[in-house]
Amino acid sequence: MGLKERQEELVRALVAGGADPAGCTNVAAARDQLLHKRAGEAGRAWPMLRASLGPNWYRDFSAWAANRPTLGSYRDGLEFARTLTLTGAALAEFEQRTRPPARRWFARPAR
Amino acid sequence: MSILRGLGIGWRPEIAGFIAGLETLGFTEVIAESIHRELPPPLAALRDKGVPVIPHGVKLSLGGADPVDPDRVEHFANAAAVTRAPLVSEHIAFVRAAGMEAGHLLPLPRTREAVDAVVANVTTVQSTLDVPLALEPIAALVEWPDDELTEAQFLTEILDRTGALLLLDIANVYANALNRNEDPHALLHAIPWDRVAYVHVAGGEMVDGLYHDTHVHPVPDEAYKMLRETRPTAVMLERDGRYPPAGQLRAELDAIAEAAWG
Repeated sequence: MGLKERQEELVRALVAGGADPAGCTNVAAARDQLLHKRAGEAGRAWPMLRASLGPNWYRDFSAWAANRPTLGSYRDGLEFARTLTLTGAALAEFEQRTRPPARRWFARPAR
Repeated sequence: MSILRGLGIGWRPEIAGFIAGLETLGFTEVIAESIHRELPPPLAALRDKGVPVIPHGVKLSLGGADPVDPDRVEHFANAAAVTRAPLVSEHIAFVRAAGMEAGHLLPLPRTREAVDAVVANVTTVQSTLDVPLALEPIAALVEWPDDELTEAQFLTEILDRTGALLLLDIANVYANALNRNEDPHALLHAIPWDRVAYVHVAGGEMVDGLYHDTHVHPVPDEAYKMLRETRPTAVMLERDGRYPPAGQLRAELDAIAEAAWG
């Protein structure tokens, strides 16, 4: 197997639910480390969402994120939030960020 | 190699005020991908005071089997220009494959094919820079089977073929040695020290029998021992979160300086 295939196999095992590459050590530990880092980053991008889950943030986010490659911490939090019943500050954070922008009635300056 | 001298710390927005108050800051480093057209004002102030600011890339994926992304290369070169950096740095690692982001630095198998991939990408990046590039070996939990080269051979081959400098992370050497049941001092002595531009040090923790290079825990005693042994000209602390009170962070910097030059 060439380098390209080996790299793809490892990334797939770490973030997309692929089988562990034969002979590689500590793949499960690396997968947990990546999920933990990713949960921390998503939590920083979505502080109220994170707070709403309290001590379960890492567990619940990781369960959702495992096998889903990241599209960045903002998108991670957004898509994860869509799977939850939000209330209070977490709901306000979500609505504020997903509300369509106000229409601008003034004309754009002429070039 | 003494482009840099003294004690540094990685610049992060959360500790900008703390860093601005350090009287004896030798240099600092900023994540290259976080730099836009202009530097954040506190970082620009350091640069304008003459503190070297080193862009440190984390997403170029220099070890990727695919050619490095031209947009990322251009951004990296722009980061070097806006910081007026005397050198720049990146990792010997890959971070994505087949369109999937790993979200972290991943190790390369130590094969000749991997050396060729790194050399090709590094050469591309170097052609856009007018300052030296330093390469950092990473801490990795995953180990590939069937390596063709030792770590020292792998590193030396890449440095010789690219002319790149080395950014040596003492904590990474410690982490890898611990996790492979090897002697960290043996690798330390196999390092081509004449190529070392500067040294990183950071904290970590043990999780289920493996050492994780977290950058959010205190620097381990063994890393101080390695600093005492190697006495690098330029060394900096990487701290990426769970920031301790200023007094404690300052004490950690003092301890690093004491270990390196005391």
